[in-house]
Amino acid sequence: MSPLETEVARLMVQTLNLDMDPAHISPDGPLFREGLGLDSIDALELSLAISRCYGYHLRSDDPDITATFSSLRALCKSIEKHRTK
Amino acid sequence: MSAVPLLGPYECNDVLAWNEGRVVTCGQFLAQIEILSGLLPERPAVINLTENRYGFLAGFAAALIRGQTTLLPPGRSPQALSQIARLYPDSYCLSDGEAGAPGLLFFSLPDLHESVPARMPIPIIPAAQTAAVVFTSGSTGEPRPNVKTWSSLTTVARHTAARLGLKAMDNISIVATVPHSHMYGLENSIMLPTQHGWGLHAGRPLFAADVRSTLAQVPPPRILVTTPLHMRACIGSALRFPELALVLSATAPLSMGMAGNAEDLFRAPVQEIYGFTEAGSVAMRRTTATAAWRLLDGLSLKQGAADCCVQADYLPGPIPLPDMITPRGAQEFVLHGRGGDVVNIGGHRASLGDLNLRLNEIEGVEDGVFFAPDERDTGNTRLIAFVVAPERSTAEILSALRNAIDPVFVPRPLYRVASLPRNDTGKLTRESLLGLVQACRARFSDGA
Repeated sequence: MSPLETEVARLMVQTLNLDMDPAHISPDGPLFREGLGLDSIDALELSLAISRCYGYHLRSDDPDITATFSSLRALCKSIEKHRTK
Repeated sequence: MSAVPLLGPYECNDVLAWNEGRVVTCGQFLAQIEILSGLLPERPAVINLTENRYGFLAGFAAALIRGQTTLLPPGRSPQALSQIARLYPDSYCLSDGEAGAPGLLFFSLPDLHESVPARMPIPIIPAAQTAAVVFTSGSTGEPRPNVKTWSSLTTVARHTAARLGLKAMDNISIVATVPHSHMYGLENSIMLPTQHGWGLHAGRPLFAADVRSTLAQVPPPRILVTTPLHMRACIGSALRFPELALVLSATAPLSMGMAGNAEDLFRAPVQEIYGFTEAGSVAMRRTTATAAWRLLDGLSLKQGAADCCVQADYLPGPIPLPDMITPRGAQEFVLHGRGGDVVNIGGHRASLGDLNLRLNEIEGVEDGVFFAPDERDTGNTRLIAFVVAPERSTAEILSALRNAIDPVFVPRPLYRVASLPRNDTGKLTRESLLGLVQACRARFSDGA
């Protein structure tokens, strides 16, 4: 994992109260449904944490939003691109 | 009252909805549902799974004109849909997405963008007609039907606006972050605007930036129909939002602090609604002003032997409140929290008894129990579950659960254990389960 991926994995575990070691999140594994089992309530919680930490406001009408939430790695690429802090 | 109009006092060119960047007038809507109602299958009941709020409204209205009852399942799991289909074997699925469940007649919502000549007048619907059946997940495993007559839905819409001091001619725009297929959303994002000649946005914004851009797409005065979870995201985003006329909140208790922050953020009062599927909206309060809830007009409380009930002319009979309350005079009460068996996550309610039943029905599960670790009703704390299932993996059990229950209740985490700490009478106490949580967590950190 890259330093940002490690940081975001930790943020996810903390924000969503996931009972797992951040290092065990597979960077390319799916986050939702059969993957980590996340849902829209988690997406909302995560969007809040991401806006606070990185100043990036996620939007559902962003054409890349499905790709953004497809894995930890994709989410981090998106944060990298849009972060303001 | 024997009949109530389908819509409130709209003129032909009044805006009824904003749908995917287009304005829909009342006349266009009536023309579209006239065509749609002619296309619907000849069946008495329709499971309306349409995701787009305007599409859902069109399907709902077309069904009303045809005298068909709209069925609203508690969740979207294939098992929930199959159970509804078993209870209503003559029903079909209406959707703007994928087919609902195998074996169910499927009708795909046609494109409603096609322009057709506007139509008036507004149709009249018999007051006693069963407009909708809204299902709750019952404690026996079978979904429980809650019948909503056209008169009950229109009466609650009228009483809600009256309590808020809003009138038919106020030209309000409604934006909602909640699904229209549950009672709170049906009442406040579908019935409230359409019974008063207002406009509704077809979208369902999720993230803070979505809420802001959706609000900006509609003219003031605006009402946001939302939940504490969405408000928290908006407040935390540090974005600036368009000024609102009013915020409605329900599905989880709202703290005084968050209500105050939301009033600052949206420059509008926040009114909290207390209600539940069986009775619909029951009471309201402005959270920053008072702790007491005031019943909507027409409702009264009745203290029974075991529980407190709410009753009204438009309800089939006295309905027990799922929460513990203390009445304050005839029209007000203080809320103490949910009753023992009910859990609420993100506005989805379920009984632990029902969830336990579903868990134990899974092949290979010898014993199992759900546990709500947090007694505070914050609306976003997930459930924990323990299973005794030596032959099944965690992933297999989770996958079976996703098919059987609303995904928000899928446990996080699911612990596989050798046995449950049942006492002499076979019961599981809260203390023993808390002990088991600690033991499992310790085991997890040792292994990690």
